[in-house]
Amino acid sequence: MLEQLLIFTRGGLILWTCKEIGNALKGSPIDTLIRSCLLEERSGEVSFNYGAYTLKWTFHNDLGLVFVAVYQKILQLLYVDDLLSMVKQSFSEIYDPKRMRYDDFDETFRQLRVEAEARAEEMKRTKQVVKPLNGVKKQGQVSKEETKKSNGEKKDDEGKVSSVSNGNHKMEDDVANGKENSADNNNNNNNSVGVDVSKLAKLRSKGVRGRGGLRKADSIGSNKGSSKVEPPKKATKKNRVWDDAAAAPKQEEKLDFTDEHGDNGHVDVVAAADQGESMMDKEEVFSSDSESEDDDEPISDEKPEAKKKGWFSSVFQSITGKANLERTDLEPALKALKERLMTKNVAEEIAEKLCESVEASLEGKKLASFTRISSTVQGAMEEALIRILTPRRSIDIMRDVHAAKEQRRPYVVVFVGVNGVGKSTNLAKVAYWLQQHKVSVMMAACDTFRSGAVEQLRTHARRLQIPIFEKGYEKDPAVVAKEAIQEATRNGSDVVLVDTAGRMQDNEPLMRALSKLINLNKPDLVLFVGEALVGNDAVDQLSKFNQKLSDLSTSGSTRLIDGILLTKFDTIDDKVGAALSMVYISGAPVMFVGCGQSYTDLKKLNVKAIVKTLLK
Amino acid sequence: MENLEDLKIMAEQWSNRGIEYLQKIPQDQLYAAVGVLLFTTVLLFLSIRLVRRTKSNTVLLSGLSGSGKTVLFYQLRDGSSHQGTVTSMEPNEGTFDLHSENAKKGKVKLVHLVDVPGHSRLRPKLEEFLPQAAAIVFVVDALEFLPNCRAASEYLYDILTNANVVKKKVPVLLCCNKTDKLTAHTKEFIRKQMEKEIEKLRASRSAVSTADIANDFTIGIEGEVFSFSHCCNKVTVAEASGLDGETVQIQDFIREHIKP
Repeated sequence: MLEQLLIFTRGGLILWTCKEIGNALKGSPIDTLIRSCLLEERSGEVSFNYGAYTLKWTFHNDLGLVFVAVYQKILQLLYVDDLLSMVKQSFSEIYDPKRMRYDDFDETFRQLRVEAEARAEEMKRTKQVVKPLNGVKKQGQVSKEETKKSNGEKKDDEGKVSSVSNGNHKMEDDVANGKENSADNNNNNNNSVGVDVSKLAKLRSKGVRGRGGLRKADSIGSNKGSSKVEPPKKATKKNRVWDDAAAAPKQEEKLDFTDEHGDNGHVDVVAAADQGESMMDKEEVFSSDSESEDDDEPISDEKPEAKKKGWFSSVFQSITGKANLERTDLEPALKALKERLMTKNVAEEIAEKLCESVEASLEGKKLASFTRISSTVQGAMEEALIRILTPRRSIDIMRDVHAAKEQRRPYVVVFVGVNGVGKSTNLAKVAYWLQQHKVSVMMAACDTFRSGAVEQLRTHARRLQIPIFEKGYEKDPAVVAKEAIQEATRNGSDVVLVDTAGRMQDNEPLMRALSKLINLNKPDLVLFVGEALVGNDAVDQLSKFNQKLSDLSTSGSTRLIDGILLTKFDTIDDKVGAALSMVYISGAPVMFVGCGQSYTDLKKLNVKAIVKTLLK
Repeated sequence: MENLEDLKIMAEQWSNRGIEYLQKIPQDQLYAAVGVLLFTTVLLFLSIRLVRRTKSNTVLLSGLSGSGKTVLFYQLRDGSSHQGTVTSMEPNEGTFDLHSENAKKGKVKLVHLVDVPGHSRLRPKLEEFLPQAAAIVFVVDALEFLPNCRAASEYLYDILTNANVVKKKVPVLLCCNKTDKLTAHTKEFIRKQMEKEIEKLRASRSAVSTADIANDFTIGIEGEVFSFSHCCNKVTVAEASGLDGETVQIQDFIREHIKP
């Protein structure tokens, strides 16, 4: 049954709640919905899960109203969408901006609800009568698809599930159990996480099921393949020893090239690197180009006749300014905008979601006079982009460092990322910047895998004249980090910068090692280092990193990625979309931008400049 | 007496000469000249009026998300908070007459009250409204003060160091909301805590750069612990309770600073 149905204005005033079913809701689902979904530009999604509830919503953009329905997650009520649209229609007839109480709407709502329920019953009955067998499977599939939609998973999973849906009723029970468990875990959800942690937990439970399902499919489909591969491979490679596995001491000796006596030869004292002010502190000077109208560019891919008609009617409408925006009107403008975003290297999925969200917020709105549809859409998209790129919490690192200093403990920053993005280089840049502001820094070389990583950090430390904690290669990074932090507490360093090895997001043992490092040491800031050149993979990297970090977290508090460091920004001219993709998918703000290879090439993200470049 | 008569004669002569001169000019030119003169005087009047801007009557209600701004807005406007509020996604604006119990001279003071959303993603909205603000009410949740102290202080610091606020010396009221609850903190405690936090912020922000990019100005006096009395604009503290309708102190503040 419906738990609650609310109508409120975009300004925050509740206009009407259903009084018949006046159950108090556990927690604050509406506020969480607004904070983590509607304000995060995810209003194009179908539903939102919070604790034991599922929420669905619809907007009336012209009057600035939001209609939200809350119901128990376990029940799959099919009439909610229908009910919401009917409520929207009838409420907008009686809405008056001056009126604050709408008690007479109770009666109307009761009727509408009865109507909607009846209609849903009918539909269910007709479906069941026509195809009894398929109906059972379909119900299973429908529920799966609904849960999947509410999880917002990628579309490629659907294909796999449908192939495994035969005889999957046992699996369904597992899902239900998994959901109930995760529901209990997520009642103390932090409202500030953009990425729904409950979503991730659900992905975890689904992952368990999915893997089983996949294995089945794989075993069915690729039995032939695997049998072919096995015979030729006899001489297997000796596996690289990662962390805990006990390795033969001879192997360890052979591979450990740590030089016990320090650098042999080059013991010259390197002068402390002082290259001037870091670009973090310089004011950003960006040329204010005149904003060229996008309509000057001819939209060449549309048919000329349709274009002429569209253009004429849009001009006419722009002058009169009375038309309500419909989906069909918005589509061409949104499509063009999406293409433009994608040419600026925004991931395809993100561009799609953004356009849906903007569409949801503009549909039904009245056009202001003398504005074209395209400029309205552009304005809405610009606002949405600024909203996404504006950090949700303060990114004042100096303040955090001072706060940690007062508590007499070092401020720990862990740099994570895939291979070759520039973690070590940017770690040195951050150390330089902190040092310039009279903060004592210590580096911890927890990249114990890549040859030369420790030497690299050692060189940086020598040039910057800051202490470095290293234990050589082939050591457990989590333990090295722990000892580094203890050392920092002992000698009074304010900040500890921990460098980790690069790892692909799919590599299970490496991600587990990373998660262990983070759980053991509880750093203050987990900084994901991503390069600006990355394309669609950014979405995959960040979401998998976050997922693994939440899956494998042991204690109650789940640490996710707290901030993003965008590197190699000088190599992209104006294709700045990676920043947007990363921020959207993870909800973490961009704290630094690396724009070169010397110590001073570190700056802050300029939101307005990026938005302007994206929409140019 | 002679002087007067002389003057009279001279004036007559001049006027005759003037009339002769005027009659010499062709009529079209005359009319054109008069027209241009009238036009420019009208323009001058209008521009003077605009430039000599009437004092704005906009009051901003700002503060962190969840501090009670929307409730206070509706209390001030309608006298009741209706059926409750949720997190605002857009600003609420209203122009109305503040009900003055002591109706001073029966003057109608129209106040333009703006409730700016406190969510951090919507922070740029505040910057849109700051230029037209004549007074700012910064609402703080007195109940859940300590967990949010840092964020609230940062927000207040950003407001106090904004160029518009400093240049126009906009008065700020630090309003402690939700004082109807038992465990709410007192306004003195809140004031001291925020002064301490802003002092820390001052130290860390000025340490960041000599060219202060994050904030336009620094506040307070160098070398001394920050106190609200150091600000060039007036900062006062008050208590209120949105749900109970206890908004007298806010109303007094608004009445004091918004002159019709």
